Amino acid sequence: MEVDRADGRNPNQLRPLACSCSILHRAHGSASWSQGFRFIQTSHFYHFNLFVFTSKCYFCYWVGSGDTKVLAAVYGPKAGTKKNENPEKASIEVIWKPRTGQIGKPEKEYEIILKRTLQSICILTINPNTTTSVIIQVVHDDGALLPCAINAACAALVDAGIPMKHLAVAICCCSAESGYCILDPTKLEEQKMKGFAYLVFPNSILSVLPEGSSLVQGEPMEHGIITSVTHGAMSVDDYFHCLERGRAASAKLSDFLRRSLQSKLPGDLSKAE
Amino acid sequence: MEAKPSTANLVDKIVVPGDVVLDLSSMTNQTIKLGGGLRQECDSVSVIKAGKLRFSKPNKYWVESSQKRYVPCVEDTVLGIVVDCKADNFFVDIRGPTIAFLPVLAFEGGTRRNIPKFEIGSLLYVRVVKANPGMNPELSCTDASGKAAEFGLLKDGYMFETSTGLSRMLLSSPTCPVLEELGKQLSFEIAVGLNGRVNAESPSTVVLVSNAIMNSESLSAVQQKIMVDKLLQRIK
Repeated sequence: MEVDRADGRNPNQLRPLACSCSILHRAHGSASWSQGFRFIQTSHFYHFNLFVFTSKCYFCYWVGSGDTKVLAAVYGPKAGTKKNENPEKASIEVIWKPRTGQIGKPEKEYEIILKRTLQSICILTINPNTTTSVIIQVVHDDGALLPCAINAACAALVDAGIPMKHLAVAICCCSAESGYCILDPTKLEEQKMKGFAYLVFPNSILSVLPEGSSLVQGEPMEHGIITSVTHGAMSVDDYFHCLERGRAASAKLSDFLRRSLQSKLPGDLSKAE
Repeated sequence: MEAKPSTANLVDKIVVPGDVVLDLSSMTNQTIKLGGGLRQECDSVSVIKAGKLRFSKPNKYWVESSQKRYVPCVEDTVLGIVVDCKADNFFVDIRGPTIAFLPVLAFEGGTRRNIPKFEIGSLLYVRVVKANPGMNPELSCTDASGKAAEFGLLKDGYMFETSTGLSRMLLSSPTCPVLEELGKQLSFEIAVGLNGRVNAESPSTVVLVSNAIMNSESLSAVQQKIMVDKLLQRIK
């Protein structure tokens, strides 16, 4: 079941992740999440005649970038809800801004999926009759766009201090004809595959409870699933296979999210005792 | 995966939403007070906001974090901006999830005949009297015994917004390093609200004071002193 991926990764390997919080000055919470490398395109301008040898080095450029990057901003909670929202709960409003072009049906679908996912992880009874706005801006799109956006939105909500039950980590798995499944595909890989699934899992938590006491129906909470969006056709076994792989990878994503939130937090509050 | 020893203590560690920090079934016959960022679910206490878990004897737990929005708490002193005047209340924005009400009689010696006239946009230093979940908070311009005690309209000065963590640092005692260093060379007055608003008043150096305070958020004590020294050298 060996598969050659274009960038040399093995099937279970994710692209390098990067997350930074509090990057927007005016937003109440913001985060950017990127998966993959950004290849730098160097220009032709370094063409000194004297140093012909050195100028040849600068001719190596890659066109395009191999990463998916999403910027999320959170504003709120602000007073008031829209007409068809329940005023006894907090409501979440998602605005998806594509990189280019007008907003159309795919963006509306992403907005609905993201809203349902965020509604299930936020505690909506704490601030009734308020609206929290989440604005997603796509910076680059190279595969696995919706999981990247969900991760960015979750980090931005934590940055804004919105009360949440737990965090969400999202991953994309695709399955190919011969039944193997690969994680975190690029756009080309997504298009070639038979079907792919975006899966969102709860994060792994630290607990002072003894192991085994907080099981829900015999399984720890991290084995739950929050959202699953599938495209294309895949058999039931393939889907369960993707779920397993995704769940295993979600532990790594969860650790990465925890570390990036930890590195941002202690700076401001060490003294003042 | 929950691979932690069973006696792990998460106090003074960074926690993220979802972490379970207390097991109440093993702490019977104790009264525990939970502050912001924690929620009780049946027999365990879990975290709902990311931050550092703190414990103060004998029984108080809370999660300390710094945000740009404010969660109203009783007995907090905040800076509010008047957005509307009604017959019974002023509507004041305190950067929280809902608008707060300031009753027109909540002033020292306040009667129906001498209701103060605040214009829309005026800055007030007020105290939070009621902050129940789901309701608009109520404010007052008097302290608990009914005296004015510096509450009320702030006329002059420059107001800027910071995070709640920085305003707690500015109000901590002993005096925070940036204010101490600035105070050695300049004279200024600041009013700090726990909702992240600071009003600085100074005859000629208000911009320097406000920039110094805004820059000091993520610096340690020594770095704050160095930063203030550099800024002060520019005006010498």
